[in-house]
Amino acid sequence: MSAARFRSRPSAVASLLVPLALIAIVALAGADGTPAFQGTVTLILCNLIVVIGLQVFVGNSGVYSFGQLGFATAGAYVAAFLTLPAAFALLQTPGLPHFIVDAHLGSFPSTLIAAAVSGLLAMAIGLPLMRTSTLAIPISTFAFLIVAYNVVANWDRITGGSSGLVSIPTTTGVESAALWAGAAVIAALAYKWSASGYRLQATREDEVAARSIGVGVMRERLIAFGLSGMLCGVGGALAVHQSGVLNPTTFYFGATVTTMTMLVVGGARSVFGAVIGAIAISTVNELLRGVENGASLFGSISIGEAPGLAAIGLGLILLATMIAMPNGLSDGREAGELRWLRRLGSKGAVPPPRAHGPGLAAIPPRDRSAKGALRAERVSVAFAGLRVLKEVDLSLEPGEALGLIGPNGAGKTTLVNVLSGFQAPDSGSVWLDGVDVTGRTPARLAHDGLGRTFQAALPFPHLSGLESVAVGAMGMGIGRRRAVEVAAIVLGRLNLLDRSTQPAGSLPPGSQRLLGIARALAIQPRYLLLDEPAAGLNEAECAELVAILRNVLKDFGCGIMLIEHDMSIVMELCSRVQVLDDGMTLRVGTPDEVQADPAVVQSYLGSSFLAAADA
Amino acid sequence: MTELGQNLIDALALGSLYALIAIGITLVYTVMGMMNFAHGEFIMLAAYALYVFAGLPFGAALAAALLTGIAIALLAERVAFRPVRSADLSAQLVTSLAVAAILQNVVTATVDARAQSVETPAVLSESTSIGSISVPNLEFVTLALTAIVLGGLGWLLYRTRTGLAMRAAAENFDMARLLGVRADRVIAIAFAISGALAAAVGVLIVMQTGQVTPTMGLTPVLVGFVAVVIGGFGRMVGAVVGGLLLGILSSLLGVYLPEGLVPFRDAIVFTFPVLILIVRPHGLLGGEIGKARV
Repeated sequence: MSAARFRSRPSAVASLLVPLALIAIVALAGADGTPAFQGTVTLILCNLIVVIGLQVFVGNSGVYSFGQLGFATAGAYVAAFLTLPAAFALLQTPGLPHFIVDAHLGSFPSTLIAAAVSGLLAMAIGLPLMRTSTLAIPISTFAFLIVAYNVVANWDRITGGSSGLVSIPTTTGVESAALWAGAAVIAALAYKWSASGYRLQATREDEVAARSIGVGVMRERLIAFGLSGMLCGVGGALAVHQSGVLNPTTFYFGATVTTMTMLVVGGARSVFGAVIGAIAISTVNELLRGVENGASLFGSISIGEAPGLAAIGLGLILLATMIAMPNGLSDGREAGELRWLRRLGSKGAVPPPRAHGPGLAAIPPRDRSAKGALRAERVSVAFAGLRVLKEVDLSLEPGEALGLIGPNGAGKTTLVNVLSGFQAPDSGSVWLDGVDVTGRTPARLAHDGLGRTFQAALPFPHLSGLESVAVGAMGMGIGRRRAVEVAAIVLGRLNLLDRSTQPAGSLPPGSQRLLGIARALAIQPRYLLLDEPAAGLNEAECAELVAILRNVLKDFGCGIMLIEHDMSIVMELCSRVQVLDDGMTLRVGTPDEVQADPAVVQSYLGSSFLAAADA
Repeated sequence: MTELGQNLIDALALGSLYALIAIGITLVYTVMGMMNFAHGEFIMLAAYALYVFAGLPFGAALAAALLTGIAIALLAERVAFRPVRSADLSAQLVTSLAVAAILQNVVTATVDARAQSVETPAVLSESTSIGSISVPNLEFVTLALTAIVLGGLGWLLYRTRTGLAMRAAAENFDMARLLGVRADRVIAIAFAISGALAAAVGVLIVMQTGQVTPTMGLTPVLVGFVAVVIGGFGRMVGAVVGGLLLGILSSLLGVYLPEGLVPFRDAIVFTFPVLILIVRPHGLLGGEIGKARV
């Protein structure tokens, strides 16, 4: 029996080989041309590496950075310093330490060092920047770009100031640029398909849901930011060894717009998109410049110097793409995920995971030995003076199902948010297995064994069902291979296997909702909080949900807390029911006791419920 | 003491200019949720109107600049931003980046990439003495204009029906729309005001520097963005506070920084907001935006 996989082998191979083949074609087209044409092609390949660098961060995180060209600048200057002939170095950069001037490295080691320096710089810069909000990152990275420019342009004794550096050895040829570009493709795909890459993509798809399965948003962004900076540094280092000249505007605003256009036009979510975007826009750019110069089509190009016409053309292309085709030429897919290629190659793109594997008992809650419970003690929360929770107590033990009911606005969801770390209580505390966990982040609580779902399904639309659920396991730091196994088991138990290869966003609402439960189960929680899991499900789906949850209780043994308006579901599953009303606990008891309580009937169930129950 | 007073007035004037930029960006952000990269190009184009209409009487050139700012803002809204109104924040940001690149390079192609000098009225480059302090007249104009703009915006937002609609749209756009607020109109008005503010800033910058360049909008828009971020997204008061803070910091650094470090002033100014964001990720007057909604 073959193990479950995210993608079929032909699909993975195509995703890798198609971009590599495109790069090889570009390189072959350039190899026989005039020296000027070779130079143009080499620079296109250097740009392509920078665009792949952008893709690693922007594509996987969904957060735009306008600062990555600052790392290309860093890589370019480091590579130039390490290779400048001593005589020129003394003239242009008198302040440079001797050991750097005397290094006289070759092209390859200087590129490696440039990569390391720009990668480390990106980590150092990213450490504070990634702490800022999703909204502030584009702006703080833009600020970094301008700071970097300002420093480079004014640090005359080291960088040669605004006039820049000349006479840098020109050692980058078409072949070496193509090899580096190929390596960049491999690195970007390897990252995208790693557990860390998947965790970052989950934050792109839905940041809140990603945090609920234990993903440290800041940490994953930082890793990608560093890798992205490294690749941009390689692109910069190779470019400077092609053109032989460098100044602070080489990789500045103009180049930022150009590379961003390449990424967006190709489709930021895929490496394939980055490659075709870079090639397509470079070609258009050359044609426009040809028209601009009125002369030969493929004249020499210089990055950064972008007079009128070509830049207007690029701007218009970027604008049209954003309006008419926001997913870009690749539609955000890798080459192996394209429809025509699927049709051409293997029929079932991904072998469906095993249908009759082991039950949930094979993936018990982590740390099952721990004794204890999830408890809220005298929790109070107020929003702008409105007291939503007033000293509420709650306790949930592993293996039991607790129903949380009450009228709308009673504070049920707020209580779940407090328990799962999304809402800090104004007073009171949350205890998990005897430890005070008040104030811990949602991601930390997920690691502590707490899973939850939301009133909305919050799917990861562009990830497949299998990937969505496996990310849950990967959020726990479980390796990719094992995570797929866990996901297959959970999906099998929830009868979702047959649809698990489709993008989650294309599934019907009922399946998306179940997928949300599967995702929370994949973190193998000791406590699972479900916020209206049956909302929007039809009757058949409701019955299925009840069967599934019964199965989870029996097989899996975690404690389940259920917010639900459908009393039949609550009565069927729960051994205890807690009734909230106006932020206070009205009653805790068995389903029968609660139903018989006149206060509960009056506040929530209503007399028609009694009538229906009698009937 | 005299020197300190002088420096403080300079700092306040620069801070006011920055606040005007930040308000223009915030206005559009509140009704549409878009950080508008092209705001800098609105500023730049209005400044170029002064250059193009330099032959006209100064008052007419000012009117031309104002109309240019408003017209280009409305045009950009209609052609570029309306189609991406429902897209996510990043997509809108990139769209406005495209608009910025187009406008900037249209000027490069039709005028020149190099700076062009613009003659300014002599009265603005003179100074007026108050006691022992001598204040450039341009700073008076800047301070007065900022006061007028703040007062006018306050009146518009809190005393008129249009302002009520704009505030409603800023709170909850979809709900406001359901309740009968005409979205297109509210957004167009916000862009028109934003364009007018950009024009005012463009004119003030030209009066200060005496020249125009195609890239002159880049630093102002960054200043505006950073001011908006440190003030807390979407808060008019935050924009003013952020702008004032940045301007005062920049101005005082220019005076008190050791000589060797003066060229790095911008680097230091733009590093400072990052420090604020580390301590307060949602800005000084940070709002709800960016926080998890569950």
